[in-house]
Amino acid sequence: MSSPSRTDARPAPALVAPTLVAPTQLAPAPVPARRGTGRRIARTVAHHAFLLAAVAVMVLPVLWALAVSFKTPGGVFDENPLPWPATLDNYRVATQDFPVWRLLLNTTVMAAGATLLQLLFAVPGAYALARFPPRGHRAVEALIVVTLLVPPQSLIIPLFLMVTELGWRNTYPGLILPQLVGTGLAVMLLRDHIRAVPATVLGAAVLDGARPGEALRMVVLPLLRPALGAVSILLFITSWNEYLWPSLIAPGMEDTTIQPGLAFFLTQEGSAYGPLLAGSMLATLPVVAAYLLASRRVTDAFMHSGLR
Amino acid sequence: MTQLSQVAGGRGVSHAPPSGRLRDRARPWLYLAPVIVALLVWVYGPLVFTGVLSFMDWNLTAPHPSWVGTDNYTLLTDDPRFGEAVRNTLVYAAAMLPFATLVPMALAVALWKRPGRVSNVYRTLLFLPVVLAPVATAVVWQFLLDPLSGLVNVALGWFGLDPRNWLGDPSSALYVIVLITALKVVALNTLLFGAALATLDRGLLEAAALDGATEWDITRHLVLPHLRRALVLLGLLSLVVTWPWIFSNVAVLTQGGPDGSTDNVYYRMFLYAFAFFDAGTASAAAVVITAGLAVVLGLGLLLTGRRQRVVT
Repeated sequence: MSSPSRTDARPAPALVAPTLVAPTQLAPAPVPARRGTGRRIARTVAHHAFLLAAVAVMVLPVLWALAVSFKTPGGVFDENPLPWPATLDNYRVATQDFPVWRLLLNTTVMAAGATLLQLLFAVPGAYALARFPPRGHRAVEALIVVTLLVPPQSLIIPLFLMVTELGWRNTYPGLILPQLVGTGLAVMLLRDHIRAVPATVLGAAVLDGARPGEALRMVVLPLLRPALGAVSILLFITSWNEYLWPSLIAPGMEDTTIQPGLAFFLTQEGSAYGPLLAGSMLATLPVVAAYLLASRRVTDAFMHSGLR
Repeated sequence: MTQLSQVAGGRGVSHAPPSGRLRDRARPWLYLAPVIVALLVWVYGPLVFTGVLSFMDWNLTAPHPSWVGTDNYTLLTDDPRFGEAVRNTLVYAAAMLPFATLVPMALAVALWKRPGRVSNVYRTLLFLPVVLAPVATAVVWQFLLDPLSGLVNVALGWFGLDPRNWLGDPSSALYVIVLITALKVVALNTLLFGAALATLDRGLLEAAALDGATEWDITRHLVLPHLRRALVLLGLLSLVVTWPWIFSNVAVLTQGGPDGSTDNVYYRMFLYAFAFFDAGTASAAAVVITAGLAVVLGLGLLLTGRRQRVVT
């Protein structure tokens, strides 16, 4: 054993710097080395057993959906979980008999639109709250935080009536604008990120004669790109998965988004489970791709948030 | 210099030179106006609108609403189905709580303890339930819970247990909906606890370990206290944010049944509004929901002593 301290169970022993200070002088091994090794192995096994069990439960429905999407119609109700013989028929039916591409396009426009719109409203507000909060900033923050605690579903009736009155049913504005309901979260997350931008960096820009607007555009926004990416992905996934609102405001086969659209496969005469799950895989792929591209960043979105 | 202190994190505007005072004072409001207006129009306006509607009789298919006082609220209290929905809602919230707090916290701590490529793979896989389409989630569980051929009953059969109609039985349906939805809640909150842990200084823990602290000491006295705030916050937020996920599962799988056992206030409100087109009663239900939630959240914050800084 190179180091008897317990920290060597972690893959970052460099932090202990064993070459500079002999760890034995600081922390004499409290247990004989051999027992320690056995315990460490047991701990590693328990660690992976715990996480593997969790992963198995969490991934099961996703794998099941993936498997069924490749099954033949006769095999859908088989007890055999594996899609054999495999077929692409479900994807063919989903994309030819149902307007899945059209629905995916609608969903993309809605989610991208809602994300951009929320950022457009949130960034200046977050900047002001972080860098030059006005006298009444506590009241403004309270006004924003309260909106995070209102369940959006309890606003659905007035929102439905407002959008109907504006003549926006079955339109993109009708799908997108009410999602400004969630802007408060973006403001609070971005405010904390802007606060984390070192004051000296901003100070230098201001000494060079930058006005606040210029400082925002030329210093804060470039520095904020990772945080903006993270918050965008979060907003995008939330909007993409929206189910109730599009089903109410744009229920038509061609006008709705993919989430309520998948329910078209479930009919009284019989449900097309294979094509439904094929469609759901097409709906899931873009989000998984977005998440994989920036999975670290999604965590970072909350790094400076009030969670700590 | 004055400008520097303002833009670079200064708080007051009182030191501004007289010439720029008005503009300096107006500037933050200029930046804040869009988001304030947006929230007034899309959150606070609708909130007030709901309150007013709850005193109206308005069949959504008829042109004109009329004032009926508190009739809608009387209708709610007289409707046994609404009472059952309220009771079920409390059971939903209580049953969901460990899946919003303890389970994801344990997972996040385990992932955080051994950083590296393997943990990143775990982390990515654990997030997958969030991105599976709501309708697909419900349909997959319909398969897995099928009374005859579903994998769940087949697996229980290996242990000699009889198959059950999990979603068709009023005594189990609600808990099944909770468990199905819990996967998404666990997935999201594991990520959020992970974010909270990312701000914990590993050097501090290395020092504690060198001082002879055991792994359990470190977890108990350093890691868990660091997460207390996230724990309270995510527990309370789960009372707000889990309902859309519960809603889609109920809508596809049980429609509130069997015997109203999976009904809840959000689903009932949806039925009042969009199945019975009764905007007044639905709004009264929305007011009851919002007020009830405000009381619960207020009590929760009061009891945990975190009144000042919820999310701010």
